[in-house]
Amino acid sequence: MELLHNFSFGPGGWGAALLAATLTTVAVAVCGFVIGGVIGALVAWAKLAERALLRFAADLYTTVLRSIPDLLVIYLFYFGGSLAVTQAVNFWGRDGFVGVPPFAAGAMAIGVVSGAYQAEVFRGAFRASSRGEIEAGKAVGMSGLLLFRRIIAPQVLRHALPGTGNVWQMVLKESALISVTGLVELLRQAQIAAGSTRKPFEFFLIAGAIFLAITWISQHVFSCFERRTGRYAAGGLY
Amino acid sequence: MSESDRMQPVISLRSLHKSFGSLEVLKGISFDAHKGEVIAVLGSSGSGKSTMLRCINMLEIPTAGEVVVGGETIRLKKHGANLAIADQRQIDSVRSRAAMVFQSFNLWSHMTILENLIEAPIHVQRRSRAECVAEAIALLEKVGIADKRNAYPGHLSGGQQQRAAIARALAMHPQVLLFDEPTSALDPERVGEVLTVMRSLANEGRTMLVVTHEIAFARDVASRVIFLHEGIVEEDGPANKVFGNPRSERFRRFISTFER
Amino acid sequence: MDPFFIRDSFFQLLSGVPLTIELTVVGFLLGLVLAMLIALMRFSRSLPLRNAARSYVFVMRGTPLLVQMFLIYYGLGQFRPTFQSLGLWQFFREPYWCGILALSFNSAAYGSEVLRGALNSVSKREIEAARACGMSGVLLYRRIVLPIALRQALPAYGNELILMVKATSLVSTITMMEVTGIAARLISETYRPVEVFIAAGAIYFAINFLLTRAVSMLDWWLTPHFRGVPKSRQQERANV
Repeated sequence: MELLHNFSFGPGGWGAALLAATLTTVAVAVCGFVIGGVIGALVAWAKLAERALLRFAADLYTTVLRSIPDLLVIYLFYFGGSLAVTQAVNFWGRDGFVGVPPFAAGAMAIGVVSGAYQAEVFRGAFRASSRGEIEAGKAVGMSGLLLFRRIIAPQVLRHALPGTGNVWQMVLKESALISVTGLVELLRQAQIAAGSTRKPFEFFLIAGAIFLAITWISQHVFSCFERRTGRYAAGGLY
Repeated sequence: MSESDRMQPVISLRSLHKSFGSLEVLKGISFDAHKGEVIAVLGSSGSGKSTMLRCINMLEIPTAGEVVVGGETIRLKKHGANLAIADQRQIDSVRSRAAMVFQSFNLWSHMTILENLIEAPIHVQRRSRAECVAEAIALLEKVGIADKRNAYPGHLSGGQQQRAAIARALAMHPQVLLFDEPTSALDPERVGEVLTVMRSLANEGRTMLVVTHEIAFARDVASRVIFLHEGIVEEDGPANKVFGNPRSERFRRFISTFER
Repeated sequence: MDPFFIRDSFFQLLSGVPLTIELTVVGFLLGLVLAMLIALMRFSRSLPLRNAARSYVFVMRGTPLLVQMFLIYYGLGQFRPTFQSLGLWQFFREPYWCGILALSFNSAAYGSEVLRGALNSVSKREIEAARACGMSGVLLYRRIVLPIALRQALPAYGNELILMVKATSLVSTITMMEVTGIAARLISETYRPVEVFIAAGAIYFAINFLLTRAVSMLDWWLTPHFRGVPKSRQQERANV
């Protein structure tokens, strides 16, 4: 019964803390994912651009960010960000060390890394899109923003769905790395609880189980999206 | 070779039945193939001719009936509602004696043509590498692609690949050659080069069982013709008799659609 | 931005490279062996084995590597008396072995999916031709199925190697001093995260670049059948 007591929601129980930490995990993952989506779209656009300089810069970005460990990027944003903020604050008169909020640093780091992967997903999705349909759009007089909004974007998003699902799972698991900055997400909370109760095995196990539940739910959500958008693909109504 | 050896059929099918689920494809096929015979197996799509051929080397397992190859009855055992291979070693040995040429050539893509030819002789028949290589080169010359021996299958045309596949079958010193629609996947220009090879094999006296759509080949090269319709043998006899005076109306109609 | 500081950091970080390489290689190889085992289980006739393998892959891929690492390093410490009585505590208290275990078990899950895909992609026709020649069982696998499958798996598995290099950085959180561990220490000592990041990033980039090239060369060497038609007879003779 002591086991259950540990996870309960009352005083002395860690249930509430774990729940809050889970929400933090999901929140930082979502923020990072969205930032990554924006960066990824921009980088993909640059990769497909006509100017060689843009293409080179984009390729450099994706190659570098996919070769270095995510932990290093997190250290860069957290300590580097804190350093920048501290210097700025010191410049304006206040003394002492100011830390950048670990949530922001973590989300930025995840965003920058996942952006490299999302760029590849978007690029592949664009190439998989049907040129014929885009040409047909041009032929009826669509162009620019209209063409993008009505023809290009829906196609690209549909083809990008599986790859995006993979990146989301990746981002979710990467959020656990932000624990090194002290942000109280799920893993950090499990660490704190483990240290306090001297039961690391139980708490890390429950943390793993919660992650598993979130990834499992995510998988189903993405499958649902894929099925709904695939309705109009060749093969017709399923 | 004794008289009884000469009389013993190379292949013997007895009351062969094969169903795929509720669909019965072979409804009782029986015939004997003798040494030196070139048998053309004709029939419309769905008549079961490929299935019958694949039952001989057990790439398909019959649901009832017996297959005898070289005097050896293939042993099967009950497996739930169906039959299954009882003795894998026997099957492997039978398969190396009844060599098959496939419609899609099925050469091993990661090996050169030469390596394709020596693979089974070395590893299944345990013959010496030197002997196998020498023989393989000779066979490739025989089918006319000796210069391609170090190329990969992907670099060859369809006709060349099929000729290589025939050489691969010959490399195993088979008692009988099984051809499963060997020219169906080829461009019309390439069909001729493969049929030429098959014709020369027939003239050598090889025992061949050829499932084919090529009526001209059946009429000119085969010594015997078997016509399958919906899983039953409708016509079975010497080529000139069967073509000259067919007993079955269906077969008459079948060849008339090809005669121009 | 001090170039000399970057250079100094670079040399300090270099001392962590042997450990990074060692963890990568051992973790990768162990993971490969496990991945083959799990892939074979996925193809087994026994339902419990197949389900066990599927569950393993699902769990390992659904949870973060860091959680798995903490579970092994800190979590198993809870059962210290049990391990001590079995004489196994020597292993489980060492961050090195805990790290290797976590890295290889995690990689095995992803690797087994790559292998499974590769095995599934072997053309049924080529297998049938082999069966028709009298090959079966171990011979069939050894000469036909595995060579084709391994060539198919190579590009994706090469990617696993790169991921392993990055994953080794996580052992810095369980007190090991490979490149990232030293980098973290340097940052906290000197408060110059950008320069240290550049130096450490350069090292990882170099390692991954070399590995990518090595895998590419191996892939090129093993797949002459995917390349174009030979240009001349001399080239063909050279293949003999």
